[in-house]
Amino acid sequence: MREPLLAAQGVSVRFGGLVAVDAVDLAVHAGELVGVIGPNGAGKTTFFHALSGVLVPTSGCIVIVGDDLTGEGAHAFARHGIARTFQTPRVFKEMPAIDNVRFGLEFAGRTRSHAHDAFDEPGTILEFLGLADVAAVPAGGLTPSKQRLLEIGMALGARPRVLLLDEVAAGLTHAEVELTAQLIRRVRDELGLAVIWIEHAVRVLMDYVERVAVLHQGRKIADGDPRAVAKDAGVIEAYLGEQGEPVTEPGRKAA
Amino acid sequence: MRRFTLRDSIAATVLAALALAAMPWLMSDFALALTLTCLMYAGLAVSWAMFCGATNCLSLATAAFFGMGAYVTAWGIGTLAYGLGVLLGGLAAAAFAALVGAAVLHLRGAYFAVITFGLGELVRHAITYYEKAYAGTVGRVISEPPETVTIYHVVLLVSALAVVTALVVRASRLGLALRGIGSDEERARTLGVETRRAKILAFSLSAFFPGALGAAMAVRWTYIDPLSVFNPFIGFQTVLIAMVGGAHTILGPIASSVLFSVLTEYLRLQFPYLFLVILGLLLILLVLYLPGGLASLLERWRWGKSRA
Repeated sequence: MREPLLAAQGVSVRFGGLVAVDAVDLAVHAGELVGVIGPNGAGKTTFFHALSGVLVPTSGCIVIVGDDLTGEGAHAFARHGIARTFQTPRVFKEMPAIDNVRFGLEFAGRTRSHAHDAFDEPGTILEFLGLADVAAVPAGGLTPSKQRLLEIGMALGARPRVLLLDEVAAGLTHAEVELTAQLIRRVRDELGLAVIWIEHAVRVLMDYVERVAVLHQGRKIADGDPRAVAKDAGVIEAYLGEQGEPVTEPGRKAA
Repeated sequence: MRRFTLRDSIAATVLAALALAAMPWLMSDFALALTLTCLMYAGLAVSWAMFCGATNCLSLATAAFFGMGAYVTAWGIGTLAYGLGVLLGGLAAAAFAALVGAAVLHLRGAYFAVITFGLGELVRHAITYYEKAYAGTVGRVISEPPETVTIYHVVLLVSALAVVTALVVRASRLGLALRGIGSDEERARTLGVETRRAKILAFSLSAFFPGALGAAMAVRWTYIDPLSVFNPFIGFQTVLIAMVGGAHTILGPIASSVLFSVLTEYLRLQFPYLFLVILGLLLILLVLYLPGGLASLLERWRWGKSRA
């Protein structure tokens, strides 16, 4: 079997007595688009922090293309090809949009090349995201939805092998969500990346991913085909037992 | 309007430095002394802004670096050539900054400011203790100082180098990394910057210049003791000048160091008892009504022109 690009093995994160992430395994291969869902407080974002090196897991390890990076800083993860966005966009507000994208190209992505040559230019990445006209605008002056797109651009600038998206659809209109989702698919298809996509608004995500993992109270309770997962008794209970929308049979929009 | 390239800016700096180099033969002693003060503060403020302006870290360590440089001169004078002492003063401060930077650069905001201030006090007391216990002295007399023209040229050279270094850093990857750190350090890390190393490197680089300037200026005083060369006022003044000028720019701190030195001198002569009061008031007004510094005036004006 092919070596996974990213493999989390028994990853746990504890904050004092609270177990935020509890022995989660997840392996992602090139070209996969994996959704991670779960009710509020399920540990999704904490799990992402561990996957991107922002937070060192209490136990377990994270292997990126065969290298165990557990305990290394976030810059080491970035240089190995892990790029991420944040739940609330964290762009460099004072810098022009184009420098935000150039940032990753200059640092994390400096020694790798994209499968797609066109993505070596910050201008091309902005164009791809439909942000070419705001290239010179300081990122802090962009609308929140454009900042979200720009964050994806920053991550693409880092020439990622694995793209971690943390609730990129939050706060977007329905049309914007559709566009973003299509964009993510295109990125995955054109660059052959692995994409892990966390979303609280489950319905959107289920339509676009080929595989979904469900976190509940820090544990992974399901992992597989979205249609099968949606029927899983444990998943339904996790969602209905708390607040939040129930998981419904997704209307497939596969390409 | 064409934007200034790095090469243009460096050429302008070199030309300005050459023009200033002729001043000792054109100026009165008083004007030359004033120009020397301007140059010193320009070098201090530009090198401070090189690190602090980009990263938004408030360092009060300038006095510590300056004093260390001054003591290299005080200990070396007579045995060490003046120029060599200046170089060593800079290197000592840079090495010290790298060492303590590794320990304190993870701190931010008020914590970083307080600890860098404490560093100055630490070095001052360490030197006081050393001098008393082992050298049996409190201060040192500088015998046979070099000529004023020599001092002026050395300070001019160090300050011009500080400006050129700041220009190069701003245009480099290190400069981009520092701006990213200033904006959102964790984000910069997730995009591949080893922020710790970048900060230590830049902090150490920016410490070379106050160290060298301290060593260069020490010979202006005939008598040196820890209290006078580790004067926290030098550190505060540097921060104020850089902030009033606009710490995210290079031209701003230069302009404001000229303004400050001339204004201080003028007020001191005209209103000997009130000058600090007036200076304080002016500062408050500037910070209240021009938080982006003098540089923001120019930016506003350019912006207005581009919109017209």
